[in-house]
Amino acid sequence: MMYFLNGGGGLLSFDTGFAIWVLISMLVFIWGMGKYAVPHIVKALDDREKRIKQSLESAEQALAKAEKISKENEKAMREAEVKAQQIRKEAIEEAELLRADRIEKAREEASKVLQDAKDAIEQEKQRALIELRHEVADLAVKAASIIIDSELDKDKNQKIVEKYISNLSKN
Amino acid sequence: MQIILRRFFLFLLILSFYSPGLVAADETNESNGSPIDVMGKVLDHDYIEVAGKKIYLPRIFLAGGQFYFYANTESALASGDFIVENERIMRADGPSVTIDFSITSHLMYVWFGILLTFFITWLAARRYRNGLGSETEPRGVWQNLFEVFFVFIRDDIAKEYIPGDKYHKYVNYLFSIFMAISFMNLFGLFPWGVSPTADLTVTATLAAMTFFITQFSGTKDHWEHVFMFPGVHPLVRIILTPVEIIGLFTKPFALAIRLFANMLSGKIMIVAILGLIFIFTDMFGAYIGVGSGIVWVALTALLYVLKAFIALLQAYIFTLLSAVFIGMAAEEHHHDEHDSSVARTANVNV
Repeated sequence: MMYFLNGGGGLLSFDTGFAIWVLISMLVFIWGMGKYAVPHIVKALDDREKRIKQSLESAEQALAKAEKISKENEKAMREAEVKAQQIRKEAIEEAELLRADRIEKAREEASKVLQDAKDAIEQEKQRALIELRHEVADLAVKAASIIIDSELDKDKNQKIVEKYISNLSKN
Repeated sequence: MQIILRRFFLFLLILSFYSPGLVAADETNESNGSPIDVMGKVLDHDYIEVAGKKIYLPRIFLAGGQFYFYANTESALASGDFIVENERIMRADGPSVTIDFSITSHLMYVWFGILLTFFITWLAARRYRNGLGSETEPRGVWQNLFEVFFVFIRDDIAKEYIPGDKYHKYVNYLFSIFMAISFMNLFGLFPWGVSPTADLTVTATLAAMTFFITQFSGTKDHWEHVFMFPGVHPLVRIILTPVEIIGLFTKPFALAIRLFANMLSGKIMIVAILGLIFIFTDMFGAYIGVGSGIVWVALTALLYVLKAFIALLQAYIFTLLSAVFIGMAAEEHHHDEHDSSVARTANVNV
């Protein structure tokens, strides 16, 4: 068979003319790919990857920021709560103190009023007693004088009766 | 399942009415000598077959320091300038053809492969340039499929095996040869198609390109390791240096042979297994020949699946090994701090 008539290589032979064609074709092909096709794709893919990377990073940053803010908020809230509790506690304590104070004062006042009343009663009692004593003496004298008007000396009798009554009151 | 069974039995029924004797009689009358021409399917031709018709391709000869152009072989012979002698084309007045620049079927398929690759990549590039894929996500099956291959070559081959930022330069080459070799391999699966990669000349040329790119991207360090071997006893260098120098050439040689042998073997297998139909017809008669055809066709269908896989696999291996060789040559070792650190800072600045 006339293999070599066909041009190109045999099964295991290397054909120079064919190789030159292939080489030229491949060089033009790779040059064309490198000029018109591949760089655009590489650039587009790189751009896209960069953009995705950037947006991921910025999202991460935003997330971190939000987390930080929320943490700060939480901390502030907790602090505020603690403060509020403290204020409340203080208020309660103060109120307690105030109440105790007032009760004490009221008690004192009441006891004072009581004492005053007692004193007044005592005074009245004394005065009443004295008055009563005078009244009783007068009555006794009057009575006695009515009884023994004529017989006895009024002054002498008065003395005796008064002496008796004062002894009586002492007992 | 029922439909499949029904179709299968229908197929058998048709087959039983089909009379192979008549058809086979025609076949045997037509072919003279061997029932099937395996080599003819494998070798390069001066024509391409389209739907069973042969289209003859131009012949270009460099003979005796002069170029000759003919529309096809027939017109070359008819012109009287060229004759056939000892199965070779010769100039009628003596000198043999120095270089045969003829357009052959393999060359046509090389061109189909690279044109298809370029066309697809150019279309994709136009899409990306219009912002589809760069500003938005890639849309559609084709763009996504394209991107799968492209990103695979860029990230899993170029970036993986070529160190540092140097890989940018080689993405174009690696992607181009990967796609072109894939298409060239896959063309062999078409009914009248031919795999130009089943031709040693094509694979050798491709491997030579990888070889030259590898050598030109070799760092000072790489050459030092090939010739000098820092830290090795001088006497050992006598053995190691030739080994390394041979190694430079065996790598692309292996590349060429691997791709060539894989593609050629698949093709021969398919032609040979289908050829068994004709051989059986010759040996045992038409009925057995065509009857056993079911087995051979089923086997061929299986082989087709395997071949389609191997077509992509071999393109991948060729590209991968090219990247590995380039990466090995372009690698900067750690012991020369000065060069690499300068190079690295330069890259960072860029």
